[in-house]
Amino acid sequence: MDKVAIVGFYQVKPGLDLMMSPYEMLFEATRGALDHAGLKRDDLSTVIGCNNDYYDGKTISNCFKVEAGGAYMKDESKVEMDGAHAVMYGLMRILSGNHKLAMVYGISAPSCFPYESVRILETDPTFDRPINLLNGYTAGGMQMRAYLNAFGLSEEDIAKVAVYNLKNAAKNPLAIPEAQKTNITVDEVLNSEMLSAPLKKLMYPILCDGVTALILAPERQARKITDKPVWITGVGHFNDTYYLGDRDLSSCSSMEKAAEKAYKIAGINNPKSEINVAELFGHTACEDLILAEAAGLADKGKGLSLIDTGKLNPSGGTMAGYTPAANGLTRIVEAVKQIRGEAEGHQISGANKAIASGQVGFCAQNNIVYVLEGGE
Amino acid sequence: MPLPEYIKKDYKRTRTMKGSWYLTSYKYKFNLSRIKEYLKGLKNGILLGLKCRSCNTVSFPPRLICGRCLVKPDQWVRLPETASIATGSANYDEEDKKREHPFPVIAVRQDGADTALIHNISDDVDFNSIYIGMPLKVVWAKERNGLYLDIDHYEPIEDPAIELNKKEGSVD
Ligand SMILES: [Zn+2]
Repeated sequence: MDKVAIVGFYQVKPGLDLMMSPYEMLFEATRGALDHAGLKRDDLSTVIGCNNDYYDGKTISNCFKVEAGGAYMKDESKVEMDGAHAVMYGLMRILSGNHKLAMVYGISAPSCFPYESVRILETDPTFDRPINLLNGYTAGGMQMRAYLNAFGLSEEDIAKVAVYNLKNAAKNPLAIPEAQKTNITVDEVLNSEMLSAPLKKLMYPILCDGVTALILAPERQARKITDKPVWITGVGHFNDTYYLGDRDLSSCSSMEKAAEKAYKIAGINNPKSEINVAELFGHTACEDLILAEAAGLADKGKGLSLIDTGKLNPSGGTMAGYTPAANGLTRIVEAVKQIRGEAEGHQISGANKAIASGQVGFCAQNNIVYVLEGGE
Repeated sequence: MPLPEYIKKDYKRTRTMKGSWYLTSYKYKFNLSRIKEYLKGLKNGILLGLKCRSCNTVSFPPRLICGRCLVKPDQWVRLPETASIATGSANYDEEDKKREHPFPVIAVRQDGADTALIHNISDDVDFNSIYIGMPLKVVWAKERNGLYLDIDHYEPIEDPAIELNKKEGSVD
């Protein structure tokens, strides 16, 4: 694979109800990413956004984002999945040789729409909606029960992951204050409100308004733009079957395949020892473990051991603030910061090879994984 | 520095600008003629799964397409009324007034099928008592109309594994 690097990025500090319209949020992110890379808007050749018509309440939601997205009189397109998928689109455009610099952003403002209700529209109208029991919470609960049962684990084990995430969030300046819990205990997580047994409220991320943007560049340009390019050395993307009842929810086949492919492209033979940081988009504290195991960072059922190493979601992951459409992009940017040594309070020392992932669908139906590396 | 209150109000106003999207006006097409056998079966109290001749996967309820083989499965197989819990959770949504909360939410795998479906369990089952592998049986609707909800819900039946444990336990 030809070398493509992330040369600039910006994450707007998320919030439960930001004092900005999405339009201004997006401007802050794209302007911020260009300034970070020391580039002008004219330098961009393509802009790929990730947002969702249902989230926006506007059809063809990207057409309202042309100006703020930096896409005026540019080649522009949209992905309606996760920001991490938009990166794939941008990457392909650059690899085609037809484009140089690509701006990629992901945005949504859940303070303006009922996210969990929108997810009901993800369910099958013929078989799931008449029963009306499948939603984001119950899917997470059923997945967690399947995982605990398959490996003989307890709710306490998942509570430990939630504690780990929330303590990590406390060290992340871009986490929302509501998620920054330095003194949280396992008991507090276990005693938090039940969302969908055995899933507790503090094992589930907090929805917030947010936008993240990054800029991709081919090798020659990347070296001119920055002395700290972070290279995309591998990528894998797989989709599992739609129906939850057709999948083994205690693991995640699409993540396994995606990671396997990304490692193969990047020439990684032993992810357990070679990957120092993993920023994964899990929808619950439990799913963080399932995805980390699927990515080969730990044996199946043994993902909990990763919290002792600290390399899983040092930023707090989505538990630091769940921003639909921007989640995967934020994971990528966090991994990039780690490799550049710029992760401030949550820096993992010596991080030089990271993976970051994005997903869509109930119980992570679809996963996309990137291998990111620093150096030459 | 906290922002002046009037700015907050201005933003609220733009956020609540009028405009609606009638989601209930959407229609979803589904080719019932492809699952005629299944629906006819339900009306007569017979459960039919659909088997893919290529990979032998039996889906219940029938899936129109086998994603693995990209073919339309066409072999109907009769399934027993027994099933088991593939995984489960509980519903705490207070706005859902149908039952007392929390109540169990289950993914059920019909015996002989490879897929599971989300369905209801008897009202008197405590959400804490469900477990993966818990055996169940179909409870039919009072009146069967050849529709998906002809299976009203599932009810627990005796678990032979647990009965065996009890007997072994009584020996000591
Ligand atoms: Zn098949």
